[in-house]
Amino acid sequence: MFLLILSYVSLLAFIGLSIYKAIQYGKMPMHGRLDLYPVPKEKGKGHYGGSYYEVLEWWKKPRETSLFEEIVDMLKEVLFIKKLFDNQRPLWWISYSLHLGIYILFVWTALLFVGALTELAGITMGSGHWWAVVVYHLTFITGLVGALMVAFGAGALLIKRQFVDYFKKYTTLQEYFNLAFILVVAVTGLMVWVSDPGFNYGRHIAMSMLTFSPIEASAVLSLHIILLGILLIYIPLTKMSHYVGKYFSFHKVLWDNDPNVPGSEVDKIIKEAQIAKPKNNWSAPHYQPEPPKTQEM
Amino acid sequence: MINSKDLKVQDISKPVKQLTKLEKLMDLPAPYDKPGMEPELTEPKEDWAEKYCASLDGYIGLDTFETPKTKEEQDELVKKFLSGLEKMLSEETNRGIIQPLMLSLDYCGKCHTCSEACHIYEASGGHELYRPIFRSEILRRIIKKYFTTSGKLFGSLVGADIDLTWETIARLGELSYRCNLCRRCAQTCPLGLDNAVIAKEIRKIFSQEMGIAPKPLHEKGTQLQLKTGSSTGITKPAFLDIIEFLEEDIEEKTGMSIKIPIDKKGADILLTHNAGEFMAWPENPIAFAILFEKAGLDWTLSSDLLGYDNVNYGIWYDDAQAKKIALQQFKVAKDLGVNRIIVGECGHAHKSVALVADRMTSSDNKIPVESFLPILEEMVKSGKLKLDPSKNNFPVTLHDPCNYVRQMGIVNPQREIIKAVCTNFREMTPHGVDNYCCGGGSGFAIMNSMNFGEFRNKVTTRKKFEQILNAFQDTIEDPAVPKYVCAPCSNCKGAIRDILEYYEVTHKYNVHYGGLVELVVNALVDLEKPFLEFLDEE
Repeated sequence: MFLLILSYVSLLAFIGLSIYKAIQYGKMPMHGRLDLYPVPKEKGKGHYGGSYYEVLEWWKKPRETSLFEEIVDMLKEVLFIKKLFDNQRPLWWISYSLHLGIYILFVWTALLFVGALTELAGITMGSGHWWAVVVYHLTFITGLVGALMVAFGAGALLIKRQFVDYFKKYTTLQEYFNLAFILVVAVTGLMVWVSDPGFNYGRHIAMSMLTFSPIEASAVLSLHIILLGILLIYIPLTKMSHYVGKYFSFHKVLWDNDPNVPGSEVDKIIKEAQIAKPKNNWSAPHYQPEPPKTQEM
Repeated sequence: MINSKDLKVQDISKPVKQLTKLEKLMDLPAPYDKPGMEPELTEPKEDWAEKYCASLDGYIGLDTFETPKTKEEQDELVKKFLSGLEKMLSEETNRGIIQPLMLSLDYCGKCHTCSEACHIYEASGGHELYRPIFRSEILRRIIKKYFTTSGKLFGSLVGADIDLTWETIARLGELSYRCNLCRRCAQTCPLGLDNAVIAKEIRKIFSQEMGIAPKPLHEKGTQLQLKTGSSTGITKPAFLDIIEFLEEDIEEKTGMSIKIPIDKKGADILLTHNAGEFMAWPENPIAFAILFEKAGLDWTLSSDLLGYDNVNYGIWYDDAQAKKIALQQFKVAKDLGVNRIIVGECGHAHKSVALVADRMTSSDNKIPVESFLPILEEMVKSGKLKLDPSKNNFPVTLHDPCNYVRQMGIVNPQREIIKAVCTNFREMTPHGVDNYCCGGGSGFAIMNSMNFGEFRNKVTTRKKFEQILNAFQDTIEDPAVPKYVCAPCSNCKGAIRDILEYYEVTHKYNVHYGGLVELVVNALVDLEKPFLEFLDEE
């Protein structure tokens, strides 16, 4: 029962803490303009880095933005880590291996639940039913490829950080630990897979979670579930939660070029913020209120 | 002294006379690839080290920081820095930047993509001290140590391993002036993080909490501007005299009789200039006056306090100073009753009034702001100006000022204009939003105390110099061919002027610099004599 509860708790903690973190960033006050071009949503101009400031009397013209172009650019970054690919190819290969591996493991996890539901519906994986065959093989491919890519990526990053001088200089013990943790989880997962290449164990866990029944696990599988559970809780507490930060740094900082024009949301927020008077202030002399001028006689 | 290869962030606290020094700089292209073509690096004077902080790399940018003499003074410095750091991290005292700052502090993956993007790091020959994250990581570790539970519990395990001594603080302050705040690194960061935000926040702690900022930016910059109306010290009567002189100069140069409108109530446009133009490059405001009059625009200059100087050095180091200046500049426009402010050829003034000030106050206290570029493009394309590009039949390259190109997205108008008025235009590589900073950004162009000018000329402008040389490789060694670096920004022009002087490029290779409006005026069909002086001399 412990493993089952841990599975629920870790999954909920991962989602809950990630959302909490996003809320914390989202609640922060509106910042000053920090546009950085190219801003992809600038319709017809995003590709070369242009903006509405190129237009004569821009405030009199309708603002033209493109959600489609923003989403396309966002997907390039999310799915391919394009900036790293463009600017630092040698690191991209291993970093992308890790990230793509994680994405594939998300798909694998979903497939485990699909497989569990299929079995609960009475179609066993070994039944030869076409649907079971598809689910079984997709689960096999995604699970194996994902775990191998994560293990390779985490391991290679660990090695790179340890042996390339300028990486080593800046890497803290915690950062080594983070990579090692991911590697160990991936390796224990592969160890479980060796004795069960069809990932039946995974479907059983999914089934247990769907039916709220205890998870039966070997020692290695128990270790894997415990480590994975702790990792899921740990990730949102560290900078490995950059999937949250990245949304804000692009969408809410670098691409936030909404001007403060009459009637705009920005104008409304500024007017509301002007009411609040901070109790604390900076201490340099030019921050202090000027002393009252003495009347000249 | 620690060499670049061995230097680590923890060394910032090492009790050594000078932490490190410049080593082998990036090679320059021909003809500056031969020995003896550039001045050698010099050593800092001994007495500077006693009074200021020369213990970082031997250069002094923070010329108002004085070495604390007693233990009490040292402790007080540490106390003030920590108090400033706390305010930096507080939503209450730093609301305008807290979200981008926390993101940049929290999420760096230390992938070093920013290093490859940084012109200072590259120009320094890859010196460890100038990696963009070297500075950021020091601040991160100090915050970790003094402001987080994990840092207090786990210490160096989580990177809380930098001791805060007065010297650490002094060096960190100095290090915040080894970044041009050009934000090219943020553009390449896979996580969208911004080392320039962190560098500026360090500058802010020094100025806003400790009262320490470079003299050219604060005392002779924002303070002087708030007092006299201009960071150049030009007062209203002096400004009016200058305008009279400009009118005479226009007549003398072009035969045109132009009355430059001043304080014209209800004009459509308030044109604002960097007052440095009036002093160092009067041909620039002259060119604007000629073009605006020829295009029949309803425009005016202002002689009001802060109305005739659009600079705002506050945006580089101090929020309060930036706000005071920006709000007064809007007030000037409001009082005149103009429809719009058009910013002349000054990059940081664009950013200051259009971007930084955009969210400083509600829209009813503001006037719409636009760059000079769209209206100039319209003048050129509409045929209001009769132009002959063959008058500019020499090689021209264009510098893209970071402030309005990378940070405002104004990319195409200047290219359209330049192609319409020149016959031999060539881009720098890279250009547009990917450009390199001129090396004068964030105040460096005007910071000349002690040996800081050498750091600028040898390191921060080096990448731009390389780009200029590469752009003119076909004719660089032919002094008979004049070459023109078009830099439509006062600070950039200042930095490029210094490059050309320091390396004797104008003298040896006939390379000149100037703005964009000067090129346009030089292409005017009805101008008998060349407007660009270097053509007149030939």
